[in-house]
Amino acid sequence: MRGVVVAVVVTVAGLVALLSFKTHTSSAERAVASTGNLSPLLPGEHAVIGRAVPTVYGPVQVRVVEQARKIVAVDILQHPAETGMDIQIGQYAFPKLVGETLAAQSARIDTVSGATYTSGGYISSLQSALDGKSAVGKQSAVGKQSALSGGA
Amino acid sequence: MSRVGPAVTLTLTAAGAAAVSYLWWHSTRTIAGPGGVLTTIGEGLGLLAGYGVVVAVLLMARLPPVERGVGADRLARWHATLGRWLIWIISGHVLFIIWGYAVAAHSGLVSETATLLTTYPDVLMATVAYFLLLGVGLTSLRAARRRLRYETWYYLHLYSYLAIALAFSHQFANGAAFVDDALARFAWEVLYVVTAALIVWYRLIVPARDFGRHRFVVAGLRQETNHTVSVYIKGRNLGELGAAPGQFFRWRFLTRGLWWQSHPYSLSALPSDEVMRITVRDVGDPSNMLRVLQPGTPVLAEGPFGAFFPIHPGRASLLLAGGVGITPLRAMMAALTGSVVLIYRASSWQDVALQAELDALAASRGAQVHYLIGSRSELGGDPLTADTLASIAPGLDAMECYVCGPPGMTAAAVAALRSAGTPRRRVHVESFEF
Repeated sequence: MRGVVVAVVVTVAGLVALLSFKTHTSSAERAVASTGNLSPLLPGEHAVIGRAVPTVYGPVQVRVVEQARKIVAVDILQHPAETGMDIQIGQYAFPKLVGETLAAQSARIDTVSGATYTSGGYISSLQSALDGKSAVGKQSAVGKQSALSGGA
Repeated sequence: MSRVGPAVTLTLTAAGAAAVSYLWWHSTRTIAGPGGVLTTIGEGLGLLAGYGVVVAVLLMARLPPVERGVGADRLARWHATLGRWLIWIISGHVLFIIWGYAVAAHSGLVSETATLLTTYPDVLMATVAYFLLLGVGLTSLRAARRRLRYETWYYLHLYSYLAIALAFSHQFANGAAFVDDALARFAWEVLYVVTAALIVWYRLIVPARDFGRHRFVVAGLRQETNHTVSVYIKGRNLGELGAAPGQFFRWRFLTRGLWWQSHPYSLSALPSDEVMRITVRDVGDPSNMLRVLQPGTPVLAEGPFGAFFPIHPGRASLLLAGGVGITPLRAMMAALTGSVVLIYRASSWQDVALQAELDALAASRGAQVHYLIGSRSELGGDPLTADTLASIAPGLDAMECYVCGPPGMTAAAVAALRSAGTPRRRVHVESFEF
């Protein structure tokens, strides 16, 4: 009988601990997922927002920050975030894509292997931002983070 | 009585598996990237497991048409086989998901496992569920069951329900088949909710309702032999239960020391509207206090169960009993109206129960009773051979044959009957490994 009491107590305690566990997103993911937390532009910088490009996993939209005709930063405004795998792939791919963009100073960069759709969306959105250089310094209202299921 | 037989049950199960396979196929939108194939396999195995645990639970849900059509002994064997497969299927699911995700996210297996556990919703619960099921599987290995008392094993086995509940939500939170598909989620929810409702109804509510309706109590006991005792259980309107001779109930005697055990015992006589009788061999568990049951002890009786009852009571019948398997056959003997030959196989005369009744029934009904007593070495071999049986019961290939006993004996008897020419449809078997 004592064994039964022990088993019940251990089971209940285990369940309480298990159910109170909350998953956390890592700080790296939070950096990629930032939307309303865009850092304000420094004097002399202006930003252009590219169009939201639909991909199989969700839309990708970037904001290009330039100073004196030089790309100094690329912010990811929208990216696929429906599943944990989408977030993980973005974590891996976007830093690479941004780095290549700064090095190439254009949208003529390689796609990241294993993130074909995300890369494609990034490049298209980046190109549209670079093409529409007439936008000056203002940030248009950032759209909802909802996934446009582009044919999923 | 409505019966759902093995063929229908297996067909329905296969149809469900086909539907699940379609769901899997439908949900693999693109197999993209290096981890794609691995992840897709993992997801398929996961869907199969999510369906398989429902089937495993339903096999044990004590649904009356299935119990009458397939039989509790066969259902238990199917459940055990499915359980073994599920351990492999779920382990494969875990392996392929971790591997596929690791490849897709360009991370190592260990770090991807950590990521899955800490950042993917409900995966930690599902992981605990996996280890619970592994534990249940380990305790069900033959080597473990030999060391465990039946009740200990049984109550540990109930953790399967907890595991299924813990793992449920991760299917919707992470499964590709469910993330985008509201219809698939709805169908899956219906599947689980209906299964849960059936369990609650047939395993909790019906026994409680029957207890209230029929008020089973122990009426008295009678010592039959040194090792066997008959227990008489009385109640009200027992005819409503519709128990056929050959069927059994699961009995829970609500008295100190016995209330936490449930025992399947066949009725050993035709039930009347007021009284049922079981005849029990007093072996095994030393804490079995069946002998000290007091009259007036309330009893929770679940049933009737069993696919083992005469479907053609007017036909010539051959009854083959091994050891304690005599009890359902003794009940059947009283109900069969055609000619009856009973063969009672036991290792020694001490194991023979209800002999006086059998002889009396034989005399009053003109039935033949043959006792094959003795160990195999004493008898010069296994007496359950086609030749022996055919000489005892000529024309047995045209008789309805009912076999009940321990697994080894029933296997030998069925083999002998078949080789003597009895077609499969006329051989009815009940054999329990408890």
